[in-house]
Amino acid sequence: MLRESLATTWAAKVPAALVTGLVATMCAATIATVGRTAAAEAQVLERLDQAGSRVLIVQDTRGNDLITPTIIDQTAGLSTSERTIGTFIPIDVVNGAIGQGGTRVPAWGAYGDLTTVATLVSGRWPGPGEAIVSTTAMAELGLTDPVGWVAQASSSTVDDWSIVGAFTSREPFTQFDAGLLYPAPRDRSLNMVHVVLTDAAAAQATQSQVLRLIDPPAPEAVTVTSPTPLAHLQEAITGDLATFGRTLLLGVLAGGALLVAIVTLADVLVRRADLGRRRALGATRIVIVTLVTLRTMVPAVLGATAGLAAGLTITHRLGATPPWPFTAGTAILALLAAAAAAVPPALYAATRDPVRILRTP
Amino acid sequence: MLAVEDLSFAYRHGAEELFGGLTHEFSPGQVTAVTGASGRGKSTLLYVLGLMLTPSRGRVRLDGADVSAADDAVRSRVRAHRIGFVFQDSALDPSRTVLDSVVEPALYAGWRLDTARDRGRHLLQRLGVAARAEHRPGEVSGGQAQRVAVARALVTDPCVILADEPTGNLDRANAASVLDTLRAAAEQSTPGTVRTVIIATHDPFVIDHADQVLSL
Repeated sequence: MLRESLATTWAAKVPAALVTGLVATMCAATIATVGRTAAAEAQVLERLDQAGSRVLIVQDTRGNDLITPTIIDQTAGLSTSERTIGTFIPIDVVNGAIGQGGTRVPAWGAYGDLTTVATLVSGRWPGPGEAIVSTTAMAELGLTDPVGWVAQASSSTVDDWSIVGAFTSREPFTQFDAGLLYPAPRDRSLNMVHVVLTDAAAAQATQSQVLRLIDPPAPEAVTVTSPTPLAHLQEAITGDLATFGRTLLLGVLAGGALLVAIVTLADVLVRRADLGRRRALGATRIVIVTLVTLRTMVPAVLGATAGLAAGLTITHRLGATPPWPFTAGTAILALLAAAAAAVPPALYAATRDPVRILRTP
Repeated sequence: MLAVEDLSFAYRHGAEELFGGLTHEFSPGQVTAVTGASGRGKSTLLYVLGLMLTPSRGRVRLDGADVSAADDAVRSRVRAHRIGFVFQDSALDPSRTVLDSVVEPALYAGWRLDTARDRGRHLLQRLGVAARAEHRPGEVSGGQAQRVAVARALVTDPCVILADEPTGNLDRANAASVLDTLRAAAEQSTPGTVRTVIIATHDPFVIDHADQVLSL
């Protein structure tokens, strides 16, 4: 049957070329339009999923000792927490060697694993009474090396830290690049907890869990900065893009399928004597349906291959190559659409009266 | 044995019925000419016998079985395996070679392609058109094309050959050649069997050379 289909496809070059062109156009148009949308959706998702977009911050607004180190530990243990750190409100410090007249930079007391917020570039991690300084703040403090000490910029409080290393911040904690980090003592409550979530979509659930742990006496006792609206925006954008892409895809496939059906029907009408002869010689209706469908599918496969190549070339040049499952899916959908489009004309051909076709007046 | 019982046919409900309850047995091994005035249903009778039209009354029996009442798939299989057709205009596929045209019914009958092609070559040889096996139908004469059509009708070794005005477009010499071929087909079937050959015609030459004449 396949051999017969190939032979008759070769014999009917015009409809075969038209089907090839239509399916190629379907595939290329789908990839160049819907494929670009899919690629854009992937890019938007990637951008929205960057660490900076996944930060949940809860602040003890009134300093009610609500955020204890234990809560930081518990929050760090949540499955939706990628990284967690607790901090004090930053204080200003000056280079101890220069004194109170020196340039002030902020210093954060941090509780938790400092490696989650900073990368050590020289020296060692700080212990109690010690601090690490950012490479940016070193210049502000007049330090050429991460050694020396800093003192709190205050006339009343005398607190100081030895500098034992230098760091650069890790995304999304770039604010720490402005100053120093020192380990917060375990016996003091913190002012803020920062949670980098595993996924922005987990923001709402994680926020609820953290607030349950903190258990604020009143809603206004804490301030929450959450990526929940961003997650909703992400869902909305991807939803809109997906809907747009689906509509476009269906439009292209339906339009292409309709044209393939018209070409196949025209071919069937032109070749009705051929099909009538086959019926008279013993071809069953199933044979006729299969023959007409395969006669459409042979050029459709060629068209899908050419269309994929063209579509991928176009999107590659535009810098928005769609993911391969989308590309493969497009080819399969185009072939299914062509097959579905060929069936009604094939059924029409199979149910024609061969006598009416064959009788010579 | 091919027979019809109380056979009538109308192209549409309420239209004039053809054959008027015809009952007839077509003798195996003989050539039967179906004659009659234009419009009496010569070709239609062939299409009814060939199971492409369903009688409005009566039945077609093949070896005792009422094949006219079978569903379309069964009738198609009977056509493919047991009935050979010769059309007035030979009706060969212009895009295929002569040999491809000859083997076509065998493929519908489920034969392997190489077996069908061997049989097709043998028949073309027997009918004197082997040299044209790889030619297109447009490259052979009318007489040769009609002999190719006879070869196609014989390829599955059917027990019935139905020929619709097979000599209608041929000169006397070619008509005689095709008629001889059909007569030979009636007499040379597989060992132990003979074929029934039925020709719808208004050609006196064919009627004169037929073994039986059925006038409608």
